[in-house]
Amino acid sequence: MNRLFLSLCTVILLLPSVSPAMTGREVYEKVHELRQKALDRQVTATLVLFDKDGATRTRSLIEYSKNADPDAYKVLVVFQSPPDLRDVGLLVHARTFSDRDIWAYFPEFRRVRRIPTNSQDDSFFGTDFSYDDFSGPPNLDDYTFTILKEEVLDGKPCYVVEVTPKVHRKWSRFVAWVAKDLWIHLKITYYQGEEQYREGLFTDIRIVDTIPTSFKARMENITTGHKTELTVDNIQYHTQFPDDLFSQRSLERAGK
Amino acid sequence: MNLANLLRHISLKHVKLQRTYMLLAVSGICLGVAAMVSIDIVNKSVLQSFAESIDHITGRAALEITGAESGFPEELLERVQNVPGVEYAVPVIEASANLSGGSERAFMILGVDVLQDYKIRSYSLNDETTDIPDPLLFLAKKDSILLSQTMAKQEGIVIDQEIEVQTVQGIKKFKVRGLLNPKGPAKVAGGDIAIMDIFAAQAAFGNAGSIDRIDVSFLPGEKLDTMEARIRKVLPEGYSLDTPTGRTRQVAILLDRFQKSMRFIGFMVMFVGMYLIYNAVSISMVQRRKEIGILRALGAKGGEIIALLFAETCVISAVASVVGIGIGLGFAKLSVGIVAQSITDMYLKTSVTALTFSWTILFRDAAFGILASLIAAAYPAVSGVRSSPISMILPLAPTVNGFKLSRKLMAVSVLLLFLSSVILAAYGMAASDSAIRTTGAIFASALLLIIGISLLTPAFFYRSLLIFRHFLAPWLGAGGRLACINLQKNVSRNGVAVAAIFFSIALYVCSANAMHSLRVSMFDWIDSIIRADILISSGNPLVVGGAQSIPMPESLAKEIEKIPGLQSVEPFRKSSLDYGGRKIMLEIFDVALRMDYCPGMFAEGSKEEVVQLVPGQDNIMVNEGFAARYHIKRGDTLVLPTPDGPVRFGVAAIVVSYTSDSGIIWMDINTYRRLWRDTLVDCYEVRVKEKKDIPAVRQAILDRLGKNRHLFALPALEFRNEIKKIMESSFLITHAVNIIVLIIAGFGIVITQLASVLERTREIGVLRAIGMKKNQVAGVVIIESALIGTVGGFLGAAAGLLLGWIELEGFFRLDYGASIAYHIHYASVAWAIVLSAGLAALAGFYPARRAARINIVEALTNE
Repeated sequence: MNRLFLSLCTVILLLPSVSPAMTGREVYEKVHELRQKALDRQVTATLVLFDKDGATRTRSLIEYSKNADPDAYKVLVVFQSPPDLRDVGLLVHARTFSDRDIWAYFPEFRRVRRIPTNSQDDSFFGTDFSYDDFSGPPNLDDYTFTILKEEVLDGKPCYVVEVTPKVHRKWSRFVAWVAKDLWIHLKITYYQGEEQYREGLFTDIRIVDTIPTSFKARMENITTGHKTELTVDNIQYHTQFPDDLFSQRSLERAGK
Repeated sequence: MNLANLLRHISLKHVKLQRTYMLLAVSGICLGVAAMVSIDIVNKSVLQSFAESIDHITGRAALEITGAESGFPEELLERVQNVPGVEYAVPVIEASANLSGGSERAFMILGVDVLQDYKIRSYSLNDETTDIPDPLLFLAKKDSILLSQTMAKQEGIVIDQEIEVQTVQGIKKFKVRGLLNPKGPAKVAGGDIAIMDIFAAQAAFGNAGSIDRIDVSFLPGEKLDTMEARIRKVLPEGYSLDTPTGRTRQVAILLDRFQKSMRFIGFMVMFVGMYLIYNAVSISMVQRRKEIGILRALGAKGGEIIALLFAETCVISAVASVVGIGIGLGFAKLSVGIVAQSITDMYLKTSVTALTFSWTILFRDAAFGILASLIAAAYPAVSGVRSSPISMILPLAPTVNGFKLSRKLMAVSVLLLFLSSVILAAYGMAASDSAIRTTGAIFASALLLIIGISLLTPAFFYRSLLIFRHFLAPWLGAGGRLACINLQKNVSRNGVAVAAIFFSIALYVCSANAMHSLRVSMFDWIDSIIRADILISSGNPLVVGGAQSIPMPESLAKEIEKIPGLQSVEPFRKSSLDYGGRKIMLEIFDVALRMDYCPGMFAEGSKEEVVQLVPGQDNIMVNEGFAARYHIKRGDTLVLPTPDGPVRFGVAAIVVSYTSDSGIIWMDINTYRRLWRDTLVDCYEVRVKEKKDIPAVRQAILDRLGKNRHLFALPALEFRNEIKKIMESSFLITHAVNIIVLIIAGFGIVITQLASVLERTREIGVLRAIGMKKNQVAGVVIIESALIGTVGGFLGAAAGLLLGWIELEGFFRLDYGASIAYHIHYASVAWAIVLSAGLAALAGFYPARRAARINIVEALTNE
């Protein structure tokens, strides 16, 4: 799924223009393919959390990830600030696009904690993004896709696709605005039943190493009024990190 | 005339005229209903509150896994999580804490894996059930704590505020990272709860890597039995697997004692009430004899008159029952805290914020009160209307003492007494594991004894009067002889007054002697067991172990030892384990050291054997109650669950201990630490070299160790006295009930004597006309009352002594052990007799005054 990092670092493939008769599945095959190619990267980002009263908390993080063939991917996220959270980390090992292990490390306890795999839709450490948003692309066979319409958003033509999971998730479906030719999400709305509960907007799209990347993402929890803004400060693709960087030992050492 | 009209025109008038008598008569029923209502409400409220707490705390968990109370390794969690069909298996730590400074508020700590716990319990780090500004910071910092909004509001605590909390590691600073809305777990213990992440809770309140419980939920469609079997396969032996309602079931067992004793009291009070109703209806029959005769002459049938009397009784007892329900609610409000406290001590901080009752229960208790009144009224009502209408209209003939002195009744009463003795004898001779050795058997024996003596009362009274007439009456002159003749005229009704006195005095003597025996045994035991000079505890000065205690680390012993003037420092730990479906108390101490200075009380075995067999070895001591319940003798072995699986222990001795009625095991602290890997301590028992140094040493302990930890260092003498005071106060309810019963019985005499005076109005008039003085008339009535009281007192004292032994045997020895000896409290026996005679004489004053004031002319015309 990786809706956040899809927005952050999706690759444009210079493919011939898509036929207007594309199905939802075909749209997401493009999205998936490009995200897979964008998996080798290092991102430095700043997160600003807004509570319902408008009070803010800021934190910065570094994300390292790699395409871990024959496994799916590996991701390591390490918080840099504030001082209380320095070196708090998250490690994802995805064997396949639907089977992964997640661990968290809190330096004060000196213990690595395993995060239950069924927590993928839970809040990523109090932000409005989920653990899933900080993981790799999903397994397309776990979803059904329906194109609802085509629409222009922020001047960009989009496919509006409804995605419904085949297994139980915290949300019952989401509707995504996928920019044509860029294969990147510009907007995503999650539903619980008929109620909208989470909404993400991805803006400031720039091309980095031929990969279209959203430098600003904003996710809002409609129910709580809480929102989180993520700003990419720096991004590098094709990093080819060694496997050692994605070990539990490395998690305990904050990737050092 | 229909029944409603009769009630309005005849009964209402009678009630208005005799409202004082009525009030007295129904007071017994009223109190009996009150006792039953309060028992039911307290029981229901406490169980409900506990069940709700369990519900909130366990959330969606279908099963709970517990091991040793000191915790078990968290590695077990993964094994359970991997069991097919398990949806979630989450760890839990439960601990107690106190706010340091300010209100010193005690609260419960629930340590959970906050990353996944909301899947079982209804709260989350960032939804409407919580207000946590920064969940990541909450997870990342060891000092993070979430408080319930209720508690924070009451203590004036806000988010991001630093608070000081008394923990196992001493006073620690925590930062309130968020507030829990009063939902789910935040409602537990009346909101006196805080939630911490499991790792932070382990660091502050327990051993790292150890958890107290695993809560398990199942995937949809999985069955409880199947899942239980699957999970049990992966659990080492000794672990307990139960549903959340299982914990409530254990509490119900704990409440059983309270229920039993309160029901006994309620039954006693109700019984006295029945005596009074009987009397009131008898008096009513005497007073309204003429009126009833006229009604009968006008065509009213006997059945209609009985129906009228029953209807009256029904209405009056219904009113009494309603008032009783009100009083019962008051009693319940007063006593619910005490009962909840005992649950807090043993299981979980339970705070009853509101009384819970069902209308069905209230209706049932009221119906019982009405039924008891109707039963009491049946005999006087039926026998009252047996006479012909003409004889009822005519002046009263001297009463014939028929049935009450008949051979048939004597035979029934002797049969009941015989049955009672047979049960008692069988109980006494039966082996400890026999089916007859139950509270039910002993209760049946007591009941048969009471009914048997009650039925025998008129005959006993009649014979006592004969003796009095022969030997004592001559000393009192004409007044004495006259009193004797008057009483003999209506032995039936006077016999009921004697029975009421007998019953209340028996109850008083029974309780006084049973309580005295308990007091003597328990005080001896306390003196034998608490032999140190200073007791150091944390959390609560008088509670050692349990939910109110905040354990201390073993390392504290070294700090204490540095204080000059000490002879020894002995750690004491209290824990519990599941054995035979019951929660058994585990008391752990340094056996070798304890035996060195403490005499101990052994039912089987000796100090020397214990010193040889127990320290550091897999041998234990059990208390008498435990030994009796599980048929264990010295030298037997039993298997106890430990964190590493079951271990076979030898029983080195059977000891006397009254700490818990569920059963107690004593274990050496070295054995416990080896097997349980629990190094915490609930209390340090300190001995000083010179007794005169106790205050100085105590102060030195507080000065040296009280900075980082809120400690209580009580001189043992003070501790013993406080414990004794608590025990004394627990007897207060029984004493209060005894006094109430005695007063009600006194009212019974007033009613009986008034009836007697009314019945003899003409006769008193004649006596006055032939020259008897007012004070002589009054004297006769007072002597009559005193005689009723004295006979009832003697009979009650004798029966009370026997009942006291029965109560001790059936209600206390069964659970606490045979070492509780029966000690006769002679003062209470003497007091009971003096009190019954004195109270009865006092009760006679009003009727005496009334008799003395009789207008001679009016009395002579009285038909």
